[in-house]
Amino acid sequence: MLDTLPRRKVCISMDKKNETIVIGLGNPLMADEGIGNELVELLKSTSGQCSGVDFLDAGTGGISLLYHFEERKKAIIIDCAFMDQAPGTIKRFTPDEVETAKKLAHLSLHEVDILKVIQLAKQLDQCPEEIIFYAIQPDKVEQKQHLSKTLRDKLPQYAKQIQTELEK
Amino acid sequence: MSTIDINVKHLTRVEGHGNIVVNAKEGKVEKVEWQVPEAPRFFEAMIRGRKYDDIQTIVSRICGICSISHSLVATKAVEDALDIKVSEQTDMLRLLMHYSEQLQSHVLHVGYLVAPDLFGAPSVVPLVGVAPDAVKTIIGVHRVANQMSELLAGRVTHPITLIPGGLSQVPTEKQLRELQDLLKAQVAPLVAIVEVVLSVAANLPAFERDTEYVSLKKDGEYTFYHGDIASTDGTTKPVSEWESVANEYVIEQSTAKWAKWNRDAYAVGALARFNNNAELISPLGKKVADMFGLKKGCCSPFMNNVAQLAEAAHVVEHSIELIDKLLTKGVKPEKVSVTPKAGKGHAAVEAPRGILFHSYEFDKDGICLGGNLCIPTNQNHANIQKDFEKFVPQFMDQGEDVLRQGLEMLVRSYDPCISCSTHYLDVKFV
Repeated sequence: MLDTLPRRKVCISMDKKNETIVIGLGNPLMADEGIGNELVELLKSTSGQCSGVDFLDAGTGGISLLYHFEERKKAIIIDCAFMDQAPGTIKRFTPDEVETAKKLAHLSLHEVDILKVIQLAKQLDQCPEEIIFYAIQPDKVEQKQHLSKTLRDKLPQYAKQIQTELEK
Repeated sequence: MSTIDINVKHLTRVEGHGNIVVNAKEGKVEKVEWQVPEAPRFFEAMIRGRKYDDIQTIVSRICGICSISHSLVATKAVEDALDIKVSEQTDMLRLLMHYSEQLQSHVLHVGYLVAPDLFGAPSVVPLVGVAPDAVKTIIGVHRVANQMSELLAGRVTHPITLIPGGLSQVPTEKQLRELQDLLKAQVAPLVAIVEVVLSVAANLPAFERDTEYVSLKKDGEYTFYHGDIASTDGTTKPVSEWESVANEYVIEQSTAKWAKWNRDAYAVGALARFNNNAELISPLGKKVADMFGLKKGCCSPFMNNVAQLAEAAHVVEHSIELIDKLLTKGVKPEKVSVTPKAGKGHAAVEAPRGILFHSYEFDKDGICLGGNLCIPTNQNHANIQKDFEKFVPQFMDQGEDVLRQGLEMLVRSYDPCISCSTHYLDVKFV
């Protein structure tokens, strides 16, 4: 038998959203593409007491991000990113500091460019005042459940950096 | 006659990779191909060796748009294999969860993918400038669908409440009442969206091709979740025999498998469901269909978008009814106890894009020995190819640009979900 998956705590509600959201994006079955999912779950477990913050593994939900942006003042997005950096490098940036290099990204239901979703949210006047990306250069993106050792070893460092951002 | 050379790589506004290739010289068509060069996903290998109650979590990552459908069908197939019966309450709550995804997905597709085509906008981003109120109304309905998923599935994408045998958490009666109020308030915005689409419906190409439509079918129910497999050609089969319906095969022009049943191709999706079950759609669903002149037996693939609108109305109306039933009976947390056993199980649900099949086999300890998954879009590929073969000669005298746009719209009308595996950023610093 292979590893069993971690059980996620279920807390269902339709209550008002918190002002800050930390969103992890990606697919945990594609090696380092799952860094966003892994990191947001780690932050949720260690920063669960952080008041006023929602933590969400948004997977590959694409344009549903619009919904998660609504009524927020701040959104922190954690994602795997190709940035011409050494594997494992984490970069903090705002949407204005980058331009997309995605070739096939016009707007689609799934294969959506997050930067376009932010553009749409701005047009619709439902964009958080502050959006911060924490982007991590992958070592491997392939059909595999676990992160590469390069990224796994740095998880505590990444979490600490984002935690500091949350405490600002 | 003109020469046509269309080579659309990575079709825009389709979830994944699809290529359109058309070559014609002096009015003679030399090549017409719908190609899907997606990478294999290996989910059937990934689930081997996994415990029975991990399967729905893994396969939910197949798609970020229809993750609820994949989780639901996997849970049903596991329950079939392990001979687990669920309560009426679980069945109704799961159906509500399923409806939330239908509403989310249909509104997204019509609003974000089809409407830009009809308004002549390259995507929904510029559409905001052309029709801001319409986009805001669409987003409002989509918001409620997301809230519904959050309440029933634990989160919008990739559900966490589904477990073999039941649900790990159920909503309170108060939450269900709040959801019902929200749904009742969506009827007017839905009608407004329908009217906006109707105002530009003349831009849907006039194209028909007779084909076979396949969906679930059940007495007395416009079904998304229960019943047998039915074809508009009159054939029905139990879900356990789905492999002899799909008859999957490989073809040189695609890495995705194709499917055929009674003919050389069949279609699945909202129009297939409508063509098999139209008389059972809700009153508002029927009203929407009537507004567009959509009738049972329709064979225009572009009307799939209209059928999606009719279904969006249906799921809102039926969800309101289901919540009434749940509240009348009273909602209680249920304890789930499962004893693993060896067995093989099959299940089908209607994903927003069409009928979805999963099968799994387990050993006596509930460890997965293997599985077989057949997604709706793969069942549509052959039908899209056949549509192309009729569409190109019919529209080629209108020039390359019109033909290219028409073929792209044709593919998008099927609401395809080709490859949903990754979500990384690719950026340059400015």
